[in-house]
Amino acid sequence: MITAGLDIGSGLTKGVLVEDGVRLLPARSVPTRGNPAEAGRQVLGLLVEEANLLPGEVDYLCTTGFGRYTFPDRDLQVSDITASARGAVFLFPGSRHVLDVGSQSTRAISVSETGRVLRFKMNERCAAGAGRFLERCAKYLQVPLESLGERAAAAEHPKLISSVCAVLAETEIINHIADGVPVSEILMGVFVSLAQRAHTLMRYVGITPEVTLVGGLVHNSGAVTALERTIGLRVNVSGDAHYAAAIGAAVLAHRRLVKTSIAPAAAEA
Amino acid sequence: MTLTGGVDIGSTTAKCVLVEDGRVVGKSLAPVGVDIVRDADHAFDEALLDAHRGREEVAFIVGTGYGRFKIRFGQLVVTEISCHARGASHLFPGTRLVLDIGGQDTKVIRVSERGEVEDFAMNDKCAAGTGRFLDVCANALGFDVAEIGPVSLTARRPVKVTSTCTVFAESEVTSHLSRGKEPPDILAGLHASIASRSLSLMQRVGVVPEVTFTGGVSRNEGMVRALAQRVGLPVNVSPLSQFIGALGAALLGQERAAGAGA
Repeated sequence: MITAGLDIGSGLTKGVLVEDGVRLLPARSVPTRGNPAEAGRQVLGLLVEEANLLPGEVDYLCTTGFGRYTFPDRDLQVSDITASARGAVFLFPGSRHVLDVGSQSTRAISVSETGRVLRFKMNERCAAGAGRFLERCAKYLQVPLESLGERAAAAEHPKLISSVCAVLAETEIINHIADGVPVSEILMGVFVSLAQRAHTLMRYVGITPEVTLVGGLVHNSGAVTALERTIGLRVNVSGDAHYAAAIGAAVLAHRRLVKTSIAPAAAEA
Repeated sequence: MTLTGGVDIGSTTAKCVLVEDGRVVGKSLAPVGVDIVRDADHAFDEALLDAHRGREEVAFIVGTGYGRFKIRFGQLVVTEISCHARGASHLFPGTRLVLDIGGQDTKVIRVSERGEVEDFAMNDKCAAGTGRFLDVCANALGFDVAEIGPVSLTARRPVKVTSTCTVFAESEVTSHLSRGKEPPDILAGLHASIASRSLSLMQRVGVVPEVTFTGGVSRNEGMVRALAQRVGLPVNVSPLSQFIGALGAALLGQERAAGAGA
């Protein structure tokens, strides 16, 4: 049984195929570029091609993310919180706390052993602490996003950013540059600021190990280090965790499919 | 005949006003870069040039604004709250409430009949509702922030902008644009959104007429109209509205110079 999970986010649309709810097939992503339905179609096309399947061979498809209602060919849609939690537990079964840092919002989720959401807290009204904060700071510092972690690694003393506002941080960063502070130290300060915002959300729902980080930030070693130092705990990170919500959606699609295909049989018996 | 100067170093621009016997005799306005010390000096020199006066003729100089502690000349430093209250009351003696929207913060100040500060509230934690908010959104629409006032006045069906955060508003503006909304309608929506935020801040100190609007954003006619509509009161705006902080500083300098001479 092949199920698909599509996480249609504000920055990227991510998708995965999962076999029998347990085996991960290749994952793919494309920029959403303001056209969520099209981005979803593109990702699904890439996944099917990569797995050498015919489009009809995907048995069930579940969408999640802000654009989940825009994709017409879905069998199911679930909230990003439900999907991220489920995906994190799929990747790290010991997860009890999931931190999902997306482009526009950050969510702290406490989860049960089976991956059910117990409590969550998100920041959705302000870009502070979300991926966009990092993107903007990277732009002011003229450091490409993909080399942020590497550039920050050289920092001995983070130069703290007092402003939590993604826009006002620009002025502060410019002042730091003018004062001759090395870029690596400013960057590490940006990561610390991000980690502190995340920590506030995490404390709100209660932090129980293991903590698993999901979302786009997982590729950024500097941010992970800052987060571990700030919360004083190890954080589970995997390259696939960028796809956690998509994985969770595919796993939930499998569960639903199993339930609906067993139910009629049970009724007959 | 006492000549005094007020230098207001904001987050975005440096302003200097020279006052003689309660009358503005020279002024200057320039962007602020990374070298605030030099920008302050430059603003002062430009105002002197405008007034055809020399540095030695200025009896008293007062500094104010976000960068006031970086001014290397002058006799006194005063908060911009006091200076805005003083400057606004001088131009509009009936002023009881000052709304100052600058590049990086928004302040509301309730003032007494004598131009003294009674209460104030400010937002300096976040760019929402400040000049930066307009700047970022104007750029997303392909405009310079100086152009958007008149353009917004041609709006026919203002669009509702729901994001508080500047970063999210920027995305919201882009998505309105991609859905075929007209730039004037989006701009009018942005102005209405700032007017609402300003009103909430004003309600924290009490909305009492007359309301005087100061700071760089008060130069934007679309913003002035949106504010008057939202607050439901006429709003005083002077052609010198961007210089009110510097003017207040220079006027406080007049009092100090008179006091010192007596």
